[in-house]
Amino acid sequence: MGKILEIESVYAGYNNDVVLNDVSLEIFDDDFIGIIGPNGGGKTTLLNVILGLIKPFKGSVRFFDDIQSERNNKIGYLPQINKIDKKFPITVKEVVLTGLIYGSKGIFKRYTKSEKTKATETLKRIGICDIKDTAIGELSGGQMQKVLLARALVSSPRLLILDEPNTFVDNQFEGELYEILKELNNEMAIIIVSHDLGTISSYVKTIACVNRNLHYHKSNKISEEQLASYNCPIKLITHGEVPHTVLHKHPH
Amino acid sequence: MISELLEYKFIVNSLLAGILASVSCGIIGTYIVTRRMVFLSGGITHSSFGGIGIGYYLGFNPIIFAAIFGVFSALGIEFISKRSNIREDSVIGILWSFGMAVGIMFVFLTPGYAPNLMSYLFGSILTVSNLDIYLMFGLSIVLILVFAFFYRTIVFISYDQEFARTHKIAVSLINYLLIGLVALTIVLNIKVVGIILVISLLTIPQSIANLFTKNFRNIIIVSIVIGLIGAFLGLIISYKINIPSGASIIFSLVMIFLIAKSFQLIQGNLSLKKQKI
Repeated sequence: MGKILEIESVYAGYNNDVVLNDVSLEIFDDDFIGIIGPNGGGKTTLLNVILGLIKPFKGSVRFFDDIQSERNNKIGYLPQINKIDKKFPITVKEVVLTGLIYGSKGIFKRYTKSEKTKATETLKRIGICDIKDTAIGELSGGQMQKVLLARALVSSPRLLILDEPNTFVDNQFEGELYEILKELNNEMAIIIVSHDLGTISSYVKTIACVNRNLHYHKSNKISEEQLASYNCPIKLITHGEVPHTVLHKHPH
Repeated sequence: MISELLEYKFIVNSLLAGILASVSCGIIGTYIVTRRMVFLSGGITHSSFGGIGIGYYLGFNPIIFAAIFGVFSALGIEFISKRSNIREDSVIGILWSFGMAVGIMFVFLTPGYAPNLMSYLFGSILTVSNLDIYLMFGLSIVLILVFAFFYRTIVFISYDQEFARTHKIAVSLINYLLIGLVALTIVLNIKVVGIILVISLLTIPQSIANLFTKNFRNIIIVSIVIGLIGAFLGLIISYKINIPSGASIIFSLVMIFLIAKSFQLIQGNLSLKKQKI
């Protein structure tokens, strides 16, 4: 178990608005962390800080074990699906190949044979090799998520970051996705952001709750205190012998 | 008839202009359409009229000033919309009308009547000069080189900018480079179809191509071919019934679009029937 990422007393946000307030987090190479929290609480901001999309106002983000450097990218990222233009003229395989372009050196290059083989292998692994020449506009929500997952995985990351991968997909896909992630967790650390804490809590190892501050619980049990940070009732699946859905305090 | 026509220099120039317009608009138009920058391009087009007005007033080639105006407003829109709190489409709206206002002011300040003004608004492929041809040729070469060398990066950024940023690609730099090329393409094609109509050369061929192919590279190639067909058809119509070439070129392109769309619908229906059988 080695440390790969350390966030230390980070303050971050947009313009002059501080969204993250003194957040610290350590990530190890076998972690499977579910990040939950209310909308606007800073889940995406935290991801943006880790991904280097925004610079923190204060505090530090440090990578260990060469997981990110000028030449090397060992962070795989799956963005929210609604940020993607579904009409863009590009095929599944082309999308996955873009996951291999990294840094200023990649700008001029063309894809090599070994890169193409790698893309095909990743597509096979996720089980979508049969649609590799399909235009993305013709895919279902679940297929699209798998394509984005393949793009995140094609560079063999050590840390996989997923932003709300369970939106716009059916329950069957959701189950499939978590099985894939469970297997991937043997090779890499995983951070998954979700608003639906019920389902993720049965798969992740630990849960972090982001609501301007960060509460990190080194278990996947959800406490009353975490529930209290939500103002709306949430779907919760209990960890009994028979999983079932329980609705807490329903004012509507 | 054809060998006779080719003896006239203006016919040769207009044919060359048609070919070069198809190439440059085929490439840049694909970028504009896939990145949904059509409104932005409209803004750049109209703001470049400010440059044309200033060029008129000072007695220089208006296209040079239009190019300067167009490139600066393009870079300005890109810069302001990323950095300030103003909405991007509002910035475009402001520059759109500001450019037109500056243009009209200077045209009216210029003594005498401006006889060529109509040719900038509605295009006049028959009055394309040698300098225009050289500029369009240079632009086409630059575009081919940029899109050949940066192809996969351009597609990468156009598809998912944020993801490209996480991969440490110089996204802003490439955005600025491409928006500058968008502005130059628009301005140099103003002579061919005019300010009011230039957006059509950047969108209609691409929309037709996109009916038949879902690949970025193929859309570029098919758009160029369709642009060529539209330009030649339009030139013939313009010559036969003596109307401005810009209008007849766009009319031809829209007709091709309608034919292609109906063809696609009929084909779709047929294959549905086959499936049912």
